[in-house]
Amino acid sequence: MSNLTNLTEVTDLLTAGEPETPQRPKRRSRMVLPKNFGRCALILVPYVWLLVLFLIPFIIVVKISLSDTAIAMPPYTPTFDWAGGWASFKEMVGGWDFENFTWLMEDDLYWKSYLSSLEIAFVSSLLALLIGYPIAYSMARAPAEWRPTLLMLIILPFWTSFLIRVYAWIGILKKEGLLNMLLMHLGIIDDPLTILNTDLAVYIGIVYSYLPFMVLPLYSSLEKMDDSLLEAATDLGCSPFKAFWLITVPLSLPGVIAGCFLVFIPAVGEFVIPDLLGGSNTLMIGKTLWVEFFANRDWPVASAVAVILLILLVVPIVLFQRQQEKQQEKGA
Amino acid sequence: MNGSPNFGSGCSFAPWADPHEKPLIRFDAVTKKFDDFVAIDNLNLKIYEREFFALLGPSGCGKTTLMRMLAGFEQPTTGSIMMNQEHLTDIPPHRRPVNMMFQSYALFPHMTVEQNIAFGLKQERRPKAEIKERVEEMIALVQLQPFAKRKPHQLSGGQRQRVALARSLAKKPRLLLLDEPLGALDRKLREQTQFELMTIQEKLGLTFVIVTHDQEEAMTVASRIALMEQGKVVQVATPREIYETPNCRYVADFLGDVNIVGGHILGPDDKEEDIVQLAWHEDYAPLRVRLPQPVTFPAKGKEMWIAVRPEKVRITKDYPTDTHNILKGKVLDIAYTGNISTYHVRTEDGQIIKSQEANLEHLHRRAITWDDEVYVHWRAGGCVLLER
Ligand SMILES: Nc1ncnc2c1ncn2[C@@H]1O[C@H](COP(=O)(O)OP(=O)(O)OP(=O)(O)O)[C@@H](O)[C@H]1O
Ligand SMILES: [Mg+2]
Repeated sequence: MSNLTNLTEVTDLLTAGEPETPQRPKRRSRMVLPKNFGRCALILVPYVWLLVLFLIPFIIVVKISLSDTAIAMPPYTPTFDWAGGWASFKEMVGGWDFENFTWLMEDDLYWKSYLSSLEIAFVSSLLALLIGYPIAYSMARAPAEWRPTLLMLIILPFWTSFLIRVYAWIGILKKEGLLNMLLMHLGIIDDPLTILNTDLAVYIGIVYSYLPFMVLPLYSSLEKMDDSLLEAATDLGCSPFKAFWLITVPLSLPGVIAGCFLVFIPAVGEFVIPDLLGGSNTLMIGKTLWVEFFANRDWPVASAVAVILLILLVVPIVLFQRQQEKQQEKGA
Repeated sequence: MNGSPNFGSGCSFAPWADPHEKPLIRFDAVTKKFDDFVAIDNLNLKIYEREFFALLGPSGCGKTTLMRMLAGFEQPTTGSIMMNQEHLTDIPPHRRPVNMMFQSYALFPHMTVEQNIAFGLKQERRPKAEIKERVEEMIALVQLQPFAKRKPHQLSGGQRQRVALARSLAKKPRLLLLDEPLGALDRKLREQTQFELMTIQEKLGLTFVIVTHDQEEAMTVASRIALMEQGKVVQVATPREIYETPNCRYVADFLGDVNIVGGHILGPDDKEEDIVQLAWHEDYAPLRVRLPQPVTFPAKGKEMWIAVRPEKVRITKDYPTDTHNILKGKVLDIAYTGNISTYHVRTEDGQIIKSQEANLEHLHRRAITWDDEVYVHWRAGGCVLLER
């Protein structure tokens, strides 16, 4: 579900860059035009999409999580044998158990990974908000003819590979990296700082990578705001600073919530950044999962980790959905 | 200041006529440019305490810009605005004792009707009970009691307008700027609210500046009307003066309906010396205009215009004997609007003259109908002579 809303979200954001989009509601109403058949087909498309690309893979993962490891190909048992038919299916179902999930409860490594992932994702979202809000605000206040360019600059990093960008941070953060060289050159520090392979580097990486996801929804909600509201507030005796808190902030709240979720949700499952920038004691569930899959070749436990992660994320995703729907009902 | 501003009963409230009276607001040679575009052009204006001042003019003539300068959202490019001998330009908008009702309403979408109205009062940190009382009073005034807990997007256009009005009134500012405050209301509610506004203004002794596109409204509520054209004030006068003695064709034409006949000054009338004759057509007798006191005759041969309101033009089938300004023509059209009928008469030289008659009887049978040969005529004292 979240895939779809994210897509519309992103297109909304892209159109929001143009100063005026009066044709937007029209485009929506045209979707309703086709006769019943067309309408059904139209509704069917996202559901088929969801079924094929989300539900079926997820069912397979759940199935694997209920199995046991085996030295085989694929590395788990029981497997379903098409030739065996119904009997083989019954046999497979009979072989399922929740052993892996009990294992996850018993070994505190997993719980610690989950908690630490949530913590890192939460703090990163907060940091991204603190950094992203002034950026989005100044973009929305910039002269109208500049805004598309600024928006472009925010999206620009997506044109290079994510992996390369994270790698670049290694070059910046390492002991003899750019940052340390600069700080030492300026005489601010005498000995190089250890930033790479710490949690700090992970925070930097996540905030850097996901900042656009924070800035774009914030920008779109700030840009929509009518300047005359601030004028009305000052007219009624409110200082400009107070007007910002009483008018701008509450009205940008939908953007704040959308941005936080868009950073938080992918950050929880992040694997590349903790792996490349984090240290050996940086615990993140994405990394744990990777180790289970590829180092330990324990597919069932890895699948169980993934299933729990998904259940953990369903809560914020549902909250996010709710908030989006409410926003749409209001008609913005 | 001393007299009560009771315009209806003929009691005199005319601080503008008193040279010792100090204006509340004073525009001195104010010009406002947006890039190269001149929105306000070297404007001088005085608004007195307790006035209900109406700004009238076509769309884009600078009414909103003028108000925004008073509220503090625009700075004059040159010139100065004073409020009680104090430079208004130095005071930031949130410190000015001025509230504005925005043409676009500018209601806070995340607040309910009540919260919107209470906003200004809360900024002043008034006691809670007082705020509550004032908000209720305002909600009652604009008749929005059932909608107090709604948010702006749940209201109709007229209801939103009333919230905006209540919000701007709540603080009872010394100067209240109303930018088309009643445009979205139906006639009955509008008249009622006009009346309420006048009552509040009188009772609290506030000064109101109102922008309106409704002339009748301006005439009803205003102590004085300023008519604007392209950033300039063309005439400032009481409703009666501006209607009866406009100072140019633009004003005469903008306010109400008018017939205008151009010509050249011939000279004074032989019998009455406050009457001037205007030659308007070589085949017809000159028209006569009674000049206001003190009489100053315009130069002979000067091109001037006569403006006469349709309700002062009589229409008859027979040649009238008791008047001088008589034109012959044919009835082109009759517009019936219930209380009055307007006859459009094409004179022999091709001009259209409008004449209005009250419908005193049921119109089973009209005395005058289409294509009738008629005479339209008016008195020398019923028209004005205009220079431009
Ligand atoms: N911020 C601005 N930048 C450029 N031009 C402006 C700006 N604000 C107003 N103008 C121009 O100044 C002129 C006067 O505008 P204003 O809003 O005062 O008109 P108005 O008399 O209130 O018209 P209406 O009756 O339609 O509300 C208009 O021609 C308008 O285009
Ligand atoms: Mg306006």
